[in-house]
Amino acid sequence: MKPSDDPLDELLDGTDFEILDDTDFEILEGIRAIFGQVDPMPAGLPERVRFSLAMRGLEAEVARLAAEEDSRLVGARGAEQSRTVTFDSTSLTIMIRIDSNKNGTVRIDGWLAPPQRREIELQNPAETLGASSDEQGRFAFADVPQGTARLVVRAAEQDEGGSGSAVVTPAIVL
Amino acid sequence: MMNATAPTGPSDRNARMADLLDAAQGGSEDALGQITAELSPMLWHVARATGLNTDDAEDVVQTVWERLLFHLTDIRFAPALVSWLVVTTRREAWRVRSKGRRQLPAEQEWLTAVPDQAAGTEEQVVLDEQQRALWRAVRQLSEQCQELLRIVAFVPRPDYQSVSAELGMPVGSIGPTRGRCLAKVRALLADELDGRRA
Repeated sequence: MKPSDDPLDELLDGTDFEILDDTDFEILEGIRAIFGQVDPMPAGLPERVRFSLAMRGLEAEVARLAAEEDSRLVGARGAEQSRTVTFDSTSLTIMIRIDSNKNGTVRIDGWLAPPQRREIELQNPAETLGASSDEQGRFAFADVPQGTARLVVRAAEQDEGGSGSAVVTPAIVL
Repeated sequence: MMNATAPTGPSDRNARMADLLDAAQGGSEDALGQITAELSPMLWHVARATGLNTDDAEDVVQTVWERLLFHLTDIRFAPALVSWLVVTTRREAWRVRSKGRRQLPAEQEWLTAVPDQAAGTEEQVVLDEQQRALWRAVRQLSEQCQELLRIVAFVPRPDYQSVSAELGMPVGSIGPTRGRCLAKVRALLADELDGRRA
């Protein structure tokens, strides 16, 4: 086994498994082959699993759309659409304001309540954008393509596993 | 003995699973789909090894994957994923079994699926001579050994250690003594070979 500084690598390489010899591995392979034949997993099962998972989304805590309002700000540049959307989950309220940029993209300014540092992801079908909220719970995405997207609020990088589970919003159209 | 197809190196596989786990934690449904495609057979055999019928085993596999969604971000690396899945599947399978319905030995149709002698009708599974010898040996083991070996046979090789530790049943025990289940199989196979020679 190659030496490693990382105890994790050692685990991953199964270092302690030197005690099984080739015959043991052959026996296990043989058992695998037999059970694979005499009692195979139903062929459609992975697909059914995949489907049911896709229906549920990836996160534990699902925020719901709590409020949405449109306002037209009439300024020097003419009519400009701004939209405010609020999501509620048991642990967090997420409010975002969506403003259109001149180049056809949108800008998103968000606030978390209660205010806290978190990693924020904006996921759309093509890519995932990242941002962090500050101590006041503020975050922003300056340049977001229009279309369907959802937000995922995760634990802040420095306190992994600490401040609460990830929260995911329903998809909205930007 | 059996010719195993050469597995990809453990480190390659680990790196790939680690990447998939990362991506799934990042919200990639595709990565999660790949993980479920790769590991569902293992879950199936873990569930069936506890004696569940096929419908219940399917339900258990679904339930475990759904439950994983709630724990995905807690799982730090691939072997932890595999052992979490095995342990959760086993626990869930036993929970379903203990509800007391449909747990007749007769439901274990795979027990009778393999003829002891030559393969017969086309409905029956065709195993070669070596496989039949192995099957006869495995069938003589205690239920616990049969379950353990069935589970471990479907665990990716680099994850044997963490899984067998979780199950409290070392596959290859620590030190010079080989794990008793595998040792027993080897002894039975050796007996059979001697018997054939005699």
